[in-house]
Amino acid sequence: MSKQNKPQTRQKKAWFSALLDSEKWNGLTIPMLTILLTLVAASIILLVMGKNPLVAFLSFLQGSGFFPKASYGGGQGILTDLFNFMNILAPMILAALAFVVGFKAGLFNIGIAGQMLASGFLATVIIGYSGLSAVLAKPLVLVIGIVAGGLLGALVGWLKYKFNIHEVVSTIMLNYIISYLCGFFINTYFADSLTRSSKICSDSARLTWTNVNIGGVKCNLPLGIVLAVAAAFLVKFIFDRTVFGFELKAVGTNVRCARYTGINVGRRLVFSMAFSGMLAGLAGVTYYCGYYNTIVPKSLASMGYDAISVALLGNSAPIGAIFAGILITIFQYGSNYMSSTVGVPKEIASLITGILLLFSACGGYFRYMAHRRLEREKDEEIEASRAAKSAGEPAESPNAENREKEGKL
Amino acid sequence: MEDYIVEMRHITKRFPGIIANDDVTIQVKRGEVYALLGENGAGKSTLMSMLFGMYEPDMGEILINGEPVKFRSSNDATAHSIGMVHQHFKLVDNYTVAENIVLGVEPMKRTLGIFPSVDLKTANREIAELSKTYGLEVNPTDVIENIPVSVRQRVEILKMLYRKAEILIFDEPTAVLTPQEIEFLLKIIDGLRKSGKTIILITHKIEEIKKIADRCAILYRGRLVKVLDVQSTSSQDMANMMVGREVDFNPTKTPANYRGDVLEVSHLTVQNANKFDVVKDVSFKIRSGEVFAVAGVSGNGQGELADAVSGLMKVYSGSIKLCGQDVTNDSIRQRLESGISYIPEDRQGVGVFLDFTLGDNLAIRKYYKQPFSQGGILHFSEFENYADKLIDRYDIRCGQGRKTSLRSMSGGNQQKAIVAREIEEHAKLIIFVQPTRGLDIGAIENIHKQILAERDRGAAILLISLELDEIMELADTIGVIYNGQMMKIADASTLTSLDVGRYMMGVKEA
Repeated sequence: MSKQNKPQTRQKKAWFSALLDSEKWNGLTIPMLTILLTLVAASIILLVMGKNPLVAFLSFLQGSGFFPKASYGGGQGILTDLFNFMNILAPMILAALAFVVGFKAGLFNIGIAGQMLASGFLATVIIGYSGLSAVLAKPLVLVIGIVAGGLLGALVGWLKYKFNIHEVVSTIMLNYIISYLCGFFINTYFADSLTRSSKICSDSARLTWTNVNIGGVKCNLPLGIVLAVAAAFLVKFIFDRTVFGFELKAVGTNVRCARYTGINVGRRLVFSMAFSGMLAGLAGVTYYCGYYNTIVPKSLASMGYDAISVALLGNSAPIGAIFAGILITIFQYGSNYMSSTVGVPKEIASLITGILLLFSACGGYFRYMAHRRLEREKDEEIEASRAAKSAGEPAESPNAENREKEGKL
Repeated sequence: MEDYIVEMRHITKRFPGIIANDDVTIQVKRGEVYALLGENGAGKSTLMSMLFGMYEPDMGEILINGEPVKFRSSNDATAHSIGMVHQHFKLVDNYTVAENIVLGVEPMKRTLGIFPSVDLKTANREIAELSKTYGLEVNPTDVIENIPVSVRQRVEILKMLYRKAEILIFDEPTAVLTPQEIEFLLKIIDGLRKSGKTIILITHKIEEIKKIADRCAILYRGRLVKVLDVQSTSSQDMANMMVGREVDFNPTKTPANYRGDVLEVSHLTVQNANKFDVVKDVSFKIRSGEVFAVAGVSGNGQGELADAVSGLMKVYSGSIKLCGQDVTNDSIRQRLESGISYIPEDRQGVGVFLDFTLGDNLAIRKYYKQPFSQGGILHFSEFENYADKLIDRYDIRCGQGRKTSLRSMSGGNQQKAIVAREIEEHAKLIIFVQPTRGLDIGAIENIHKQILAERDRGAAILLISLELDEIMELADTIGVIYNGQMMKIADASTLTSLDVGRYMMGVKEA
């Protein structure tokens, strides 16, 4: 009996490896494996803490509005949670896209937080306090976000091109400069005397429709999420189909060859950082004039950095950023509710995110292992058939030996 | 029973996608020069890397002096008296000759009787003696970065001898040397054999094997074709076995038919990043239908010359004219558009995008023009047609057609792709820098034919090569560059390879 079973399990393993290795599917299978491993690791931690992991995972989803909670406050419902979730998801996706665009062109934009703050601040101050009607105010907020972010990004690209200042250095510096500059202006001119953060951005300028009644529950409708998804497809289109995207990728993978091809590398550097900055600017306005309506002085949004992890988790692909954004945001946004129902500190969410990133960084290794396994199996088959031919014996015996070897390994 | 010092039995080594060695068995006798001949990618270097402990074979066994051994690192191999001179030297540039040689097996002493330190005096003395014994002249206290390539190679050889190696592996040792230096190296190898060492020589140059080797194993696509006695086999037979088909040794070169001037370089000076003149006041002309070859030892400014003409490097002074038009200050793309094709020396670093597909790489001279794109949108069907056409016409071998990642292709096929792409531009001037470096006979023959075909079509060819044979074979006019200066420009028929070799070493005209 056992002899008959073994080949079957081997086949299954090979099937699994083949799925991980295949060009067509590994974009899907590797992240799935990563998530699965993360959930297993997180479950072990929760079990050690004496909590039921299934309840914990469910409450992450409940907190994000994917499953109904046991009870809701007055006028609230599952849709309230879901729309709030999407409201915070939108800037996350846009910020991740900002990183993806820079990254594809070989630039590491870690100034997203600063670009977000600058555009959010300018939009709030210029439009949010202006009293313009919604029809004018909302598009103008978007325009200011794009322009402010784009200019900041272009500055970084220009510094790199003109003075060879590495973008990581200049963006970190700019983050501080922007943070303190905005902090100074808010404290001096725009502070709310009660909260000490900036005066609130008017509802007409805000990219969220607040307190809309849907089916008897009050919801905050996010405009940004439509923008974010559209932006993801736009970025995908630009990189897949346009001359501009082709040149950005070229500069990103090999600057020397890009120059040799005749691409104006300096101009492409400035453009790609400007493009990245525009997306960061959009993330900024959907964050500060959308999900929130006020700015706390002298603090940068941690989202600007989380976006890097999201982008990398999404395999630095635009559509991947949507899914990675959803996943990370579930853990982050759902952690409040999870914490109150399961009684685990909400920091566990950060821990799970960390584990997820750790495993996702191993994605290439998983694929390599799968590839190795397939190669080895091919070798064994060849060897087995050779042995079978030369010895005139059935192929059973060398196979069994190999299986033992494999077991030892 | 023969006295085999090295036996490698039924060695198989597999890398992702290819079998580098497939059931290869070689037996090396004590005290002989054993040559491994094969095209690039035939698996010679892989086989020797296993003998030197850098890889472990997937199948098969290695015996040294009749004893089965398992090498887990090159240290194990060194312990069994095996030494290897790699194609790319492994020396610390800012250490002295002696320091490099003793590195890892330093003679120790105790300063003031307490502190252990390296006994450099002893090392210097020992190395001076060793170099005298084998006729390998070096100065133990010279710093590596100040000495020429041929001396660095001697340091590598001494490194093996200092470690008491009995089996010496040379990986393509003549690739970086001038003809005079090659003669000298072959003499050294002969001397080593006479003193009882066993030598394994990896090469794809048959003439060297003819001169020095006793026996020769021929590898073709990872398999052992034949082990033969060098004396009783003709060069032609060896070449045919190595390439797996009949080789035409002397491509028929039609007499030159010059038409108008295409490239005119006058008083060109180029500075490197450190404001140092690397090309000094160079002037020359290339006519349509002419192969102008620049000979010179590596690092004498020939790479910078090509970069300056193609626009990759800025011109400091002087001018470059293409068909009478001054292009000195034109951008790279403007020059390419006005009729320059360029096959760069660093094919993987400059010539291609390794992470792009073959199809994309073949299109990088055209992607921004119609019909490859329109209004900024790429037309991939055009990419595909074009790639399929070139793959077919230039016999580019690739696993998955135009979708093959360039990284997964062999060096020779990467080069074919670059040559195909650049020749298809039908440019007025084509710059070839080291077009056949690291390629095998079959591929070299192919590229040489294409160079000559382009010349006959009427292109002006600027050929920069370190291989003197290649220059003598293809050039109509030869310019010899030394230390950034053109030492000599003359019709190829008036120069012998020894003359050129002399100018390459900086000898002024007598």
